[in-house]
Amino acid sequence: MNNLFFRYVPGNSIIHRLDPRVKIAAMLITSISIFISSSFREMAVVALVFFLLVLISSTSVRIILGAVRPMLMFLGIIFILQLFLTEGNPLFSLMGLDATYEGLALGALMSMRFLFLLMFASLLTATTAPSVMTTGIEKMLRPLPLKKLGISSFDLATMMFLSLHFVPLLYGSFSHLRDAQVSRGLDMARNPFKAVYALSVPMVRTAFTSAEEVAVAMESRCYQGVNRSSLNEPVMQKKDLAALLIFGIIMFFLV
Amino acid sequence: MSIDIRNLTFRYNPGTPLENTSLKDISLSIGKGEFILIGGEIGSGKSTLVRHFNGLLKPSSGQVTVDGMAAHAKKVKARVGVLFQFPQQQLFGRTVFEDVAFGPRNFGLRGNELEEQVYSALELLGFDKEICSNSPFHLSGGQMRLVAIAGVLASMPEYLVLDEPFSGLDAENRTTLLSALKHLTTKGTSVIVVSHRIPDLLSAADRIFLLDHGNLVFGGTPVDYVKHAPYLPEITCLMKEMRRKGFDVRDDIFHIDDAFSEISRVLNTKGAVGK
Repeated sequence: MNNLFFRYVPGNSIIHRLDPRVKIAAMLITSISIFISSSFREMAVVALVFFLLVLISSTSVRIILGAVRPMLMFLGIIFILQLFLTEGNPLFSLMGLDATYEGLALGALMSMRFLFLLMFASLLTATTAPSVMTTGIEKMLRPLPLKKLGISSFDLATMMFLSLHFVPLLYGSFSHLRDAQVSRGLDMARNPFKAVYALSVPMVRTAFTSAEEVAVAMESRCYQGVNRSSLNEPVMQKKDLAALLIFGIIMFFLV
Repeated sequence: MSIDIRNLTFRYNPGTPLENTSLKDISLSIGKGEFILIGGEIGSGKSTLVRHFNGLLKPSSGQVTVDGMAAHAKKVKARVGVLFQFPQQQLFGRTVFEDVAFGPRNFGLRGNELEEQVYSALELLGFDKEICSNSPFHLSGGQMRLVAIAGVLASMPEYLVLDEPFSGLDAENRTTLLSALKHLTTKGTSVIVVSHRIPDLLSAADRIFLLDHGNLVFGGTPVDYVKHAPYLPEITCLMKEMRRKGFDVRDDIFHIDDAFSEISRVLNTKGAVGK
């Protein structure tokens, strides 16, 4: 596997060692702050906090960019839609559509929101091993009365872990497949429709086959979804709680 | 006319903690009509090297040229056909014909010429014309693999690179594929087979390259190989064993026929045969 898309990078910083529950809770707080922040001043604070965390965790910028790059087109579309579809003082005209100052500000803000959301999420996955993350999620969900819905927190955590596990796996078989079809002369830029067909048909087949293989492998090793134990049980320590508290206060007051 | 690799070094994820040097200062050259084996353990960099032959990966440093062109040039993809591992995964056509025709059609072939190349590629691998209208997904695993190989052959590449083409094939399909590959070399196509089971294929090869942890540790003919390499074909082991037991036989043999004549020569001089 040689892609950097939401990849875990082993490390030994304070952020790597924090309890996964703290990091997930902090991620929730951050998401809320990002969505209620409505000015560039508040965005600057979010950016500052983000760069501080990146520095502390000594995560490589390339890892963060690896998560952002595939989404750039999506962000661009959001920006352009906001730019042209917001009413206000006209900035310039293009093909009968008016770009506005208000649209420029709103578009920039909207795309920055998604950008930071993505970057915080990639920071979370880069500093938390998938198995640790799953245990964290499982522990956080345990108090909820999920049994009444016919599902256990263990099942949910397993589903989550499997989804995480399949992202790099599917990405791997996608790049393998792309190499094979490009070698057979597929020009993805010139012939996008052919490319979609030549890639998606085998991709769907691969996805189903590997999902079935994983299911069989789990069943043959007697997987059961109730009261599973974990290799690394996270223990909430005082410093973990303190970190969460401080982070919450900072985010609350600054944003 | 050749593939030339000069001082090729390749790193995955440069500048991150996941940086990983996969190929270190590799230089080699592959000529027209040669049958080349590239061997090495899993993780030795074989598949990474393969992706440089038609420019899917660009070297971190060094050069790869195909017939004088840079390997990532567009024309190179038509000259260098690459078959990756698990090629049965790449099938997507509604019919076998459509799938095999995908490559040559992308390289601009149409009409009768296209049909001819598709049929001749399938024929070379032992298929009848009737299979063309079948869905590729209803074939057996081995046949799917052969159809995928036909999909690369149909573009008539001048260099054919195959990554582990023999794994998962039964004995009959192995023989079919090997004789098809040998047939191609007599017509001037260079065949480059990547495999971690060099000894089985030694008798077909002109030259062998061995990789170890990204370094090129051996390059030479099969005769050099049986003198130096650690993993030998069974027939060579037999000759070495006979020599140790006191028979005066050559032990740099890797063809069954050579072994047979060598053994009968020795037995004849001792007078054991014919009495």
